[in-house]
Amino acid sequence: MTSVSSPTRQDNGSFRALLGRFPFLPALLILVVLLVLNGIFEPNSLSFRSLTGLVRTYLALMLLAVAQTYVVYAADIDLSVGAIASLVNVTIIVLMQHMGGGGLSVLAALGVGVLVGLACGLVNGFVVAALRLQAIVATFATSIFFTGLALVILPVAGMPAPTVFWRTYGGTFFGIPFVFYVAAALAILLYLLARTRLATQLLAVGDGQQAAFQSGLPVTAIRIGGYALCGVFAALAAFCITGDTASGDPLVGAKMTLFSVAAVVLGGSALSGGFGTVAGSVIAALIIGLINSLVFFAGTPSHWQNFVQGLAILAALMVGVLVSRRGRT
Amino acid sequence: MKRLATVALAAAALAGTALSALAEDFKIGLSNGWVGSEWRTQMIEEAEQAAAAWKEKGVNVEVVAQSANVDVPGQIAHVRNFISQGVDAIIINPNSPTAFDPVFAQAKEAGILVIATDAEVSSPDAIYVGIDQKGWAMESAKWLAETLEGEGKVVAINGVAGHPANEMRVAGYREVFGEHEGIEIVNEVNANWDQAQGQQAMQNLLATYPDIDGVWVQDGMAAGAWRSIMDADKAGDIAATGEIRKDFIDIWTENDLNSGASVNPPGVMASALNVAVLMLQGRELKEPATAGQYNNAMYLPIPFISSENLKEVAASVEGKPGYYSYTSSLSIEDAEALFK
Repeated sequence: MTSVSSPTRQDNGSFRALLGRFPFLPALLILVVLLVLNGIFEPNSLSFRSLTGLVRTYLALMLLAVAQTYVVYAADIDLSVGAIASLVNVTIIVLMQHMGGGGLSVLAALGVGVLVGLACGLVNGFVVAALRLQAIVATFATSIFFTGLALVILPVAGMPAPTVFWRTYGGTFFGIPFVFYVAAALAILLYLLARTRLATQLLAVGDGQQAAFQSGLPVTAIRIGGYALCGVFAALAAFCITGDTASGDPLVGAKMTLFSVAAVVLGGSALSGGFGTVAGSVIAALIIGLINSLVFFAGTPSHWQNFVQGLAILAALMVGVLVSRRGRT
Repeated sequence: MKRLATVALAAAALAGTALSALAEDFKIGLSNGWVGSEWRTQMIEEAEQAAAAWKEKGVNVEVVAQSANVDVPGQIAHVRNFISQGVDAIIINPNSPTAFDPVFAQAKEAGILVIATDAEVSSPDAIYVGIDQKGWAMESAKWLAETLEGEGKVVAINGVAGHPANEMRVAGYREVFGEHEGIEIVNEVNANWDQAQGQQAMQNLLATYPDIDGVWVQDGMAAGAWRSIMDADKAGDIAATGEIRKDFIDIWTENDLNSGASVNPPGVMASALNVAVLMLQGRELKEPATAGQYNNAMYLPIPFISSENLKEVAASVEGKPGYYSYTSSLSIEDAEALFK
């Protein structure tokens, strides 16, 4: 939440200039509309407790959307983010269990979790950028491989997380829920990452691989870097899933993959690469969450809910595309 | 503006709850996280009908349902939405056995009764009302072992590896077949509860082991497996478990198949709803729900379909669409009998 509030001030430039600078503005607009609509249909949904719950639930999708954004920057895609999250989830759960579940063991397990995510990202980067397989198919294949690994580590959902872990994630410190600290840290991290050379290079590769290569950029290394970053953020997403669910589940992330792609597009990034922001993806992850709640709060009959959800996401995409087009051409 | 409207609405909502507390009025949230089969749709519909039936007893049961394909966080959001709405009870067909522990704890803190159905949950803050998936598998495995007179080669076709219900079912048939020395499990495959994959798996199995005597196949794939068996002209030589859907029961009757089916009735959610209403009325269970691996389960009886009662079953689903599942549920009176 905190990551979205700062850039709303009006610049004196035209709408187009504003949109060029903040491509996630349409998404932000949709977010505000959805918050208001949710509030109208269910006033309680805007209570501090409900909003905390919203962030707690969708922080994982936000991080997964961020992960996806970095590969989409370079016009790649990663259909294994959900499987990576599952693999990291079961890895840290099993490790914490084996090491006794104390504070130190939790930190050690998290360290290993990041490394697992990184390793998965490197594998993806290797098969896509070095072996030059089609990203969409190659990462679909690695997703099956990662899921297989997760099933070996923890064959069936279960095994609780140490209490200290999920109590922290669900807890409140100095009157502020823990997840808001995480959101703030994420905002700072994303701000810093946006200024790194890798982020710029990923966008350059996405803009035109040939051109980037001819201008001397190490395209293969950059794309692998994008996948590595993606793997690390998928691991962070897994930490949030683990915090919110307090358990291991080898299949937990699978269904989140396509939502992460949807969030990237909703957030104003181009799947063709070269254009986008991580802030947009973060906002869009919340949009997806709010759409799901709104469909229910508005009293949609149960057998229409999927249909209406799909329509609402399509509508949000259309609004985003229309607004961006006006701003960009 | 917005805040004003919110405040006004909040006040209205508060007034609403205060008024409704006077009559016997319950609001129950139903959450279903997967809509891939008609069974789930029927489950929700039967629960809605069960809620309507309370009207005659002078109890107003309003159900609000959230049913969509969601991931685990998405279904956690279902529960959070129900908490925001202030329901009295939540009945959930959960996408994960363990992932809901923290959010169920929050629901309980908010004074909400949580009942899981169809799949057990580990949360100490919830109870499970439904069938014992292991027992479900044991029933049909027993039928198969007895039909084969304790002697023969058997293959198993299972659902999704790692899915808790699947693992419990696997444990169930392995235990039963293990008790029969003459029964040999020659292969076990996963076909992801998908008819087409079940049919394909059966074809492969028939090609690899032409001399099998029995097939233990889970519902959702049995019709497909039977299609392969019939295509291979082996229907007379093989005994295999079956389905509870009307279209399969028709095929079963027409071809006089050697089949038997444990029933996981879509009415489990309706049963859970009746139990929930009685608990909301403050009634106490005669036998507290302490069964199962998580010590929080209340198991419902598991009906069985075999050639002995096939005619009656066929009659009871007569005129229904092909996807309709043979069902059963606790009536209000049945449920009352479980309470003090």
